[in-house]
Amino acid sequence: MVRVLLSIFFLNNLFGASQDPTYLVFNHFDKEIPDAEKLLIENFNDSKFEFDASIKDIFSDLDSYDNPASSHMEMIKDLGEQYKVNFILLNKIEHKEDRFILDGLLFNTRSGGLIHRRKINLKHYLNGQINELVMWVGKTLGIQQQEWQENRESILFSDPESISYEKTPMGAAIRSLIAPGWGQAYSDKKVSAGVWFGVEASLSLAFVLSYLNYDKSAKGFLSNSVLYNGTDDEKLVAKYRSLAETDWDNHIIYSRLAIALASATGTGWVSNSIHAWIFGPRPYTNIYQEWDNSSKSNKG
Amino acid sequence: MKHFNKILFVSLLCSILIGQIKLDVSTIPKRVDVYLDGVNLGRSPILNERIKPGLHKFEIKKRGFAPLSYDLLVNPAQAIKLDFFLNPIYKIKFKTEEKGLVFELNGEHRWDVPYVRLELEAGDHSLRVFKIGEIIDEQIIRVDEPKRFNYYLKKPLTSN
Repeated sequence: MVRVLLSIFFLNNLFGASQDPTYLVFNHFDKEIPDAEKLLIENFNDSKFEFDASIKDIFSDLDSYDNPASSHMEMIKDLGEQYKVNFILLNKIEHKEDRFILDGLLFNTRSGGLIHRRKINLKHYLNGQINELVMWVGKTLGIQQQEWQENRESILFSDPESISYEKTPMGAAIRSLIAPGWGQAYSDKKVSAGVWFGVEASLSLAFVLSYLNYDKSAKGFLSNSVLYNGTDDEKLVAKYRSLAETDWDNHIIYSRLAIALASATGTGWVSNSIHAWIFGPRPYTNIYQEWDNSSKSNKG
Repeated sequence: MKHFNKILFVSLLCSILIGQIKLDVSTIPKRVDVYLDGVNLGRSPILNERIKPGLHKFEIKKRGFAPLSYDLLVNPAQAIKLDFFLNPIYKIKFKTEEKGLVFELNGEHRWDVPYVRLELEAGDHSLRVFKIGEIIDEQIIRVDEPKRFNYYLKKPLTSN
């Protein structure tokens, strides 16, 4: 469907009220764009529009001329005189597969020539046509609003490198490195968080107990050695010797146990951090079969 | 002789410039390689470049974005400003625990393994699911960021 929209656009804000340049606007859209006129009025509310859909696509053959800038000079001049306007603005929007092309042309009715042309090639997004149309019209009028630029940015998909997430696998890994299970809890994996915290806490406790026993045995051995060397009583010599030997054996056992537990705790700590990274928070979407029931896909 | 050289130089310059059209190319994102008829014009934004009338081919390329090719008939006696918007390509993982399913995306790509990695242009994509040669599901999935899709035949009673 070719929709032709004719509007007369009176500018009051460029050169003062006494010599306002006036614009005749043609919108040629191959698909209906709802609220196009309304949004143009809203965005340029200092100007006056008049709409007339009776004129058909008079510039459809523009590119078939060797020199389109001067191809319709007489017609442009005639339209300028007929509508008493200084410029004619033509906005064409053509949809091709998943993209649309906005072709904007600005004619001067005094010379009849094409003075500016702008082509915008964009993937089709919600309200993208309207936003681009407003930006182009605004450009020809010398009006640009930051909001339009922000709208343009917002309707485009994000650059993969600029996407930032509230929760990241690295954030989970760092947390788990600080406190085992924290990264898993941060990723909303409560059971996993509990298991890792329990295992690491048990290993750490066992290590501390082993170290304390090692320390106690080492000190006991030294103490009994001193006592053993300081007495000539046979019974006491035998007793201190026995105690010192027991302490020596315990000191070796607890030493080895403490080293093993320290290794296990450290390895587990790092593994817990790696686990938090692997199973860290990442974006996902669950898709459920639609043909089987009326369920829709849920964003996870 | 000295003046003759100057006149010759100015004449040559004029002959080169006359008939050329001012060209500006802007892109989103910025700093994108812009090729005109296979020649690299540099990185966007391209300002005050000159182009001869006739049919030209623009190619816009940036890593992580779908390349764009655009044929343009440039007419004489006009300045032209082109705006190109590149669509990002996202890394997608597609996973299912269901058995015996064949997936088809956009009528082009098919797979029957439980886990695949894809690079898809941002936007809507058509997913069709087959089981024993028969289509059992068809729906549109929206790719709006790098992420993983999990496909299920049945919706659970309680979803987390």
